[in-house]
Amino acid sequence: MHLHINSYGTYVHVKEELFDIRFKNSEGVVEHKQYAAAKVTGIVLATGCALSTDAVRLAMRNNVDILFVEQSGDPIGRVWHSKLGSTTRIRKEQLVASLGPSGVMWVKKWLLTKIDNQLAFVKGLKKHRPQHAHFLDDKVTRMEALGMSIGTLDAGCVADIADTLRGLEGTAGRLYFETLSYVLPAEYRFSGRSSRPAGDAFNAMLNYAYGMLYGQVEKCLIVAGIDPYVGFMHRDDYNQLSMVYDFIEPYRIFADETVFRLFTAKKINKAHVEEFVNRQGGIGVSLNKEGKLLLVTAFNTFMDADPVRYNGRNLTRNHCIQLDAHQFAQKLKSERAKE
Amino acid sequence: MLVWVLYDIEKDRSRTKAAKVCKQAGLYRVQFSCFLGTLTSNEKDTLRLKLEDLIDVDRDKVYIFPMSKDELRQTDLLGQAFDKNLVSDEVRALFF
Repeated sequence: MHLHINSYGTYVHVKEELFDIRFKNSEGVVEHKQYAAAKVTGIVLATGCALSTDAVRLAMRNNVDILFVEQSGDPIGRVWHSKLGSTTRIRKEQLVASLGPSGVMWVKKWLLTKIDNQLAFVKGLKKHRPQHAHFLDDKVTRMEALGMSIGTLDAGCVADIADTLRGLEGTAGRLYFETLSYVLPAEYRFSGRSSRPAGDAFNAMLNYAYGMLYGQVEKCLIVAGIDPYVGFMHRDDYNQLSMVYDFIEPYRIFADETVFRLFTAKKINKAHVEEFVNRQGGIGVSLNKEGKLLLVTAFNTFMDADPVRYNGRNLTRNHCIQLDAHQFAQKLKSERAKE
Repeated sequence: MLVWVLYDIEKDRSRTKAAKVCKQAGLYRVQFSCFLGTLTSNEKDTLRLKLEDLIDVDRDKVYIFPMSKDELRQTDLLGQAFDKNLVSDEVRALFF
């Protein structure tokens, strides 16, 4: 299980080789809860909490992933033992692939999967919304056309077509989110994606869900021995987790689906979000504790407790990401062996 | 599998240690000398060996009972009982 430490002043330390969480309950009384390292898969710490070095040590010894996040859910950093998940050969091949044609192949594959997922989702929406069929059909055709354009692109390395790819992907994304907004109940509609700050409840939820997904994908990549900082398509800026942004594309649908379902089921109301004004004077929306609780529970259940058919096996979605990461690493390794 | 660990251990020191070993294995304390939780069969064997080392085999008693999920579903819980979802590892996230 994941321990989410959100409340101000909560302290995570070790007692009898167990994670001990000290917090104030709703009556203001200090309480302790203990959890065995064997049962904890990850600890997610928001700002305003404390962690002891012994807790870090216990986590390292039991492969527990400690993730630090902003209040918005964006991961800031993680504590993980400083070993590679696998052999360095994978990283070398990853660097080679990032500069050659096989990088183009991978990027296209990820983007096309993403667009396919989006299309499948929109087509699924049509089943129960015959009144919107015309609107949805139009969007589907346009997104399919964009997918085709991505499919036909070809180059010796990703950098040559990166701008075109980003453009096509962006347009597809815009069409997709327009569609989602269109079919939502009127009070939840939004105009396009927004982050830092999110302009509406839907974007706030989606940003938080993507934040969790980033953390998950990064972990899967590290475990598979892939360098999360060496991307194929995203820019190699300072401390940019480029490979995470590349690799996450096919899985974004998991976050989209969870958030969308919460909204269409009318599970979200004013009690889950808070409006605020940031330093630049912009009005933003953020999730409060109840909102995070609702989203995290829904997302974790979707990712971890609800198996899907995948390559002939029943697997949880989290497990699928990990398997894909391992397969990606193995393919990188074997590609060169063939030459 | 779901595992119950029940014990009667005479020496205070060993009893305290037994409780600690059970908690570290990932079991939850449902009564003073009674633990419950989900373990793999390897984890169960490890726990057995650890408890075996602690106790005085001539005087103390330790029971390790496996239980199926089906049987847990049929269990009746009254009063301040344990959380079925927690012991069967169905809780994916906890908030503090």
